[in-house]
This record gives sequence, structure tokens and C-alpha cells, in this order.
Amino acid sequence: MGATQTTPVREASRSGLQDVLARVPRWAWWTISIAIAAGFPLLNLAGVVETAWLRVGVVSLIFVLLSLGLNIVMGETGLLNLGYIAFFAFGSYTTALLSSPKFEIRWPFLAVVVVSTLVAMVAGFLISLPTLRLRGDYLAIVTLAFGEIVRLTIINLVPLTNGPNGVTGIYSPRLFADAKPALEGVQAWFIIDKPIEYYYLVLVCVIVLAVLLTNLKNSRVGRAWNALREDELAAISSGITAVRAKMLSVVLSAGIAGFAGALFAYYSNVISPESFLFMQSVIVVCMVVLGGMGSIPGVILGAIVLQALPQLIREAAGAARSDFEVYRMLIYGILIVVMVIFRPEGLLPDKIFRREAHEVDPRELEMTRQSLFDLEEGQKDLEV
Amino acid sequence: MASEQPTPLLEFRNVQTYYGRIQILKGVDYKVYPGEIVCLLGGNASGKSTTMKTILGIVKPAKGEVLWEGEVINGLRTAERIKRGIATVPENRRLFPNLTVLENLEMGAYTRTDAAAIADDLERVYGFFPKLAERRKQRAGTLSGGEQQMVAFGRALMSRPKLICMDEPSMGLSPALVDQNFELIQQVNEQGVAVFVVEQNANAALSIADRGYVLQGGRLFTEGTAAELLENPELKRAYLGG
Repeated sequence: MGATQTTPVREASRSGLQDVLARVPRWAWWTISIAIAAGFPLLNLAGVVETAWLRVGVVSLIFVLLSLGLNIVMGETGLLNLGYIAFFAFGSYTTALLSSPKFEIRWPFLAVVVVSTLVAMVAGFLISLPTLRLRGDYLAIVTLAFGEIVRLTIINLVPLTNGPNGVTGIYSPRLFADAKPALEGVQAWFIIDKPIEYYYLVLVCVIVLAVLLTNLKNSRVGRAWNALREDELAAISSGITAVRAKMLSVVLSAGIAGFAGALFAYYSNVISPESFLFMQSVIVVCMVVLGGMGSIPGVILGAIVLQALPQLIREAAGAARSDFEVYRMLIYGILIVVMVIFRPEGLLPDKIFRREAHEVDPRELEMTRQSLFDLEEGQKDLEV
Repeated sequence: MASEQPTPLLEFRNVQTYYGRIQILKGVDYKVYPGEIVCLLGGNASGKSTTMKTILGIVKPAKGEVLWEGEVINGLRTAERIKRGIATVPENRRLFPNLTVLENLEMGAYTRTDAAAIADDLERVYGFFPKLAERRKQRAGTLSGGEQQMVAFGRALMSRPKLICMDEPSMGLSPALVDQNFELIQQVNEQGVAVFVVEQNANAALSIADRGYVLQGGRLFTEGTAAELLENPELKRAYLGG
């Protein structure tokens, strides 16, 4: 009955290699990852890697931002959101309208990004009002519908969005609105328009966000989210204000999607409703599940794998056979099924999900038997 | 024994609650004095769980007043009530199964910010339940039923409560565990914490309680000291198998 009983079980399930890897400190992993990510464009400068790959890198990093955002609601708080891409759309269209010839507005970059983030947050707040009392399946259905409503609205709100044609000619990010002519030379520094510049811009955003979210995860707020995910009633009984904590999670994740959407709109110059299909929401969900719900390094990896891997495969299959796109969702689907069966906690799991998925413990089996016995012995409560 | 004390810790005055249009509590009055064990008996759908939810502020009364230390707290949020000294051991314990014992206990102190005092209280809980100290790093879901009950108690104690509300502590437990559980309640009570037990198992509850209330269909059917209730002929027929 000693406490040591569970420890050998956990150790035995780990192979030697995993043990060695587990001993590498966390900061070392971060340093290596950041070094690789920051060094990648240098390969392009040296002529080893084509610029096309740098573009893949930029989009992958934007999807990393999205996955980190979705992870807040899905991984940390346990709320399934199937319309997440709608917030991305809010950010993208806000940016497109505030920095394009459409209305001939050109706000400075920082103002646009802040407003895009805020617009998405407001959308998140409004959608959270009616939905936060829902659970599980119902929440999934409502958010799915929300995503589609937003997309269809974009298509039909032609005066504002140009409908299916999208908004074109989005200006490059400019840090200051009106540079004096004398500063023209200096100002060139503050215009971001080359892939490599976008790459570093988004990379810095990813690193800053990852640090902020790691701190948040270990704060009172993060613990409240995890407690709500584990057992809502118990969380409320511990003094967590469920509605407020969930709302914060939805609004924050919406804001991150809006922020990512702003960068996406700037980077792609053109945005249209096609970028905000339901399938995109599903892909972001896949990124979070594949990487490991609730795990920040996990979802970063998941997003990179699912965004960059298809491109790699396409390259490998040869440019002539570009029908890979047709099978992309099929492969994602198979991948997710395989993951859920063999490694439900994801590639780089969060500790709580790892515990949940893998520590099969003899005590736990005993416990199950005991509770079955208790159920038979005890009374069943039929109270509403 | 406690009834000559002036201010009850918790008091219900003609409390009525609704779920939508359905009235659950039809005007009930309870009093719990400091240091007492009070039990609330009743069958299914008599309003026991609603009473618990009303104490915690999860359900708000439509009419009547809930008082805490003499002050009306009808509109007070759950978190604020826990800060003022109401803790709960919910039905079926409701631990966070994938958090460790330690993390579960820490959740009990969620409303507090005094880190040093929390550390002291953690040691106090470990002193009280030495088994939990042994298992502090173990997942709560893998503990035995009795140990889980200790975690649930420990978690409640971590908010430094004046009153612990227990919802159906005997629910779904084997008879041996029920006894163990009620011993735990007495031990906790000896620390000076008042306990309000909502229970179907009338015999077990009355064996440790000072006083009791009996609910039926949302109204108080009767009330009295534990000894009086044990002797009540109607109650005997209905609940005590006499």
C-alpha cells in the first residue's frame, strides 16, 4: 500500500531513449527550437533553400499563432470550438479594410493590429454570451454554425467585403502612418514586405506569445481553466467563477486569432472567404490534437507539422502531381484516428493529459472494481 | 446545546427556490450554529441538493433570505462565500481526477492569496490525514474510495472554513466506507468546524449529528435534536426502518 507502488509503473512504460530525452532541460529544448527557427531564413539567404520554403515557413508560423490561441479554449479550458477560423476572419478583414485601397485607408501597422485583435475579441465576447452555458456537443454545434454564419456574411456583405472576390491590394505593414519626406530613407526600415521580414516578424510574435501563454498557464487563471476542464462543479465549489473564467478564455483565444488574422492579411496581400472555410477550423483543431492539447510546445509542433508537411509531400511527389491537395484532408483524418488510438495525449503532451492517457495503474483498476462494488451496494440517486 | 448561542453561522429564512417554473424549496428555515453537526434528511427530490446549491450561491433564492453570520448573502457570488468560510464536499466527492493530491488540495485554497498561511494549512491537512502526505504526487483518480474522501475533506479544509457542507457523503459507498466517512466528519468537527450534512442514510447521519431537519417535497417535515428524531415514530417508519 506504499506510495512507491505507482512509481515503477510509470518508469517501466518509458524506454531508455525517452528517459534520456526527458532529462534534457526544458530551456535547452526552447533554445534549440528557437535557434533552428531563427536560422532557417539564413539558409535562404545562403541560397540553400528556395524562397518558396520561406513562404511555407511564414504561413506555418501564422498557424502556430492560431493553434496557440485555440489551445486556450480547447486544451486548457476544454471547450470545443469548431468555428475558430471566424475570429481569424474578423482579424483579417479588419486589417484588409483599414489598410487597403478599398476605402483608401492606410492606418499604421500597430494601430491596425491592435484594432483587428480587439474586433476579434469583441466577436468572441458576443458569441460567448449565449454559448458558455452549453456543454460539449452543443457548444461544438453552435460554434460550427457561428463559423459558417460569419463566412456566409462575408460572402454576402459585398459593399464591405467585396463578397467572393475578396479584398485585394492590402498595403504592406508600415510602422508609422505619415513619414516625413526627410525620413524616407529611414522609413524603408519600417516597411515589411519581403518574406524574410514577415518570417522574423511572425517568429517574434510566436516567441512572445509562447512565453506569455506559458506564464498564464501556470497562473491562477490557468489553474482555473484546467480545473473547469477537469470538473466544472468541483471548480465552482472551489471558488472559481466559471462563466468569467470561460469568457476570458474565449475572448483571449479570439483575440489571438484576430491578431494572427491581421498578420495573415498583411502577408497575403489579398484575402477572400476561401481562406476561412470550415475545413480551416478543423485543421486548426487537428493541429492542437496532434501536438497535444494543453501543451504549448505540442501545439507549436502540431501546427508546423500539419502546415509544412503537406508542402514537403507535395514537393516530394513532384510538381507535376499536384493532386495531393485532394487527399490532404483524407490524410489528416487518418492521422487523427491513428493518434487518438495510439497516442491520444498528442506528440508532446501536457503533463495532465499524459497522466490521463497512459499511467495505467494497478491501484486504478482496483479502484474501478471497488466503485463497481460500491455502486451495487449503495443506492442509486435518481434525484434531478 | 448550541441553541442558546445568539447568532447562527448559517440561517435560512423562508427560502424558496425555482428551477424555471418548478418550485423546489417551498419556504424552508434552517439554522446552523458554530461548531455544530446538523443533518438534513430527506428522500429523493425533496430539495436536499437544491439546499446545498443555495448555500453555495449556485442557485439563488426567489424569496426568503440566506444569512451568513447574521448578514444576508442572497446575491453573494460563490467565490465570495468560500472566502467568508463556507466550504463544500460535493456529492460523489468530485475530485479533479487527473490532478495530483497536492494539486487538488491547492485548488481548495483557490480563493486565498496568503501563500505562507496556505503552506501551513497544507501541513495541517497532511498532519490530519498522513496518508495524503504519502500520496501527494499521486493522481487523485487512482486513490481508493476512502483516500479520495480524505482528499475531498482536505480540499474543503484548505479554504479555512467555518462551515463544511457535505452532500450525500454515503452516496455510492460500501457500508465500511460509510462508517469511515462519518468518523472523518466527527474528526473534522472536533477541529471546531461546523458541519452541515445532507444525507439519505438517516441512521448514519443522526448517529453523529447534534440536530437534524427533515425535508419532504420542498418543505420541512420536522426538526429536532438527533435523539428526538431517532425516537420520532413517523420518521422511524419512513426512514429508519423501524
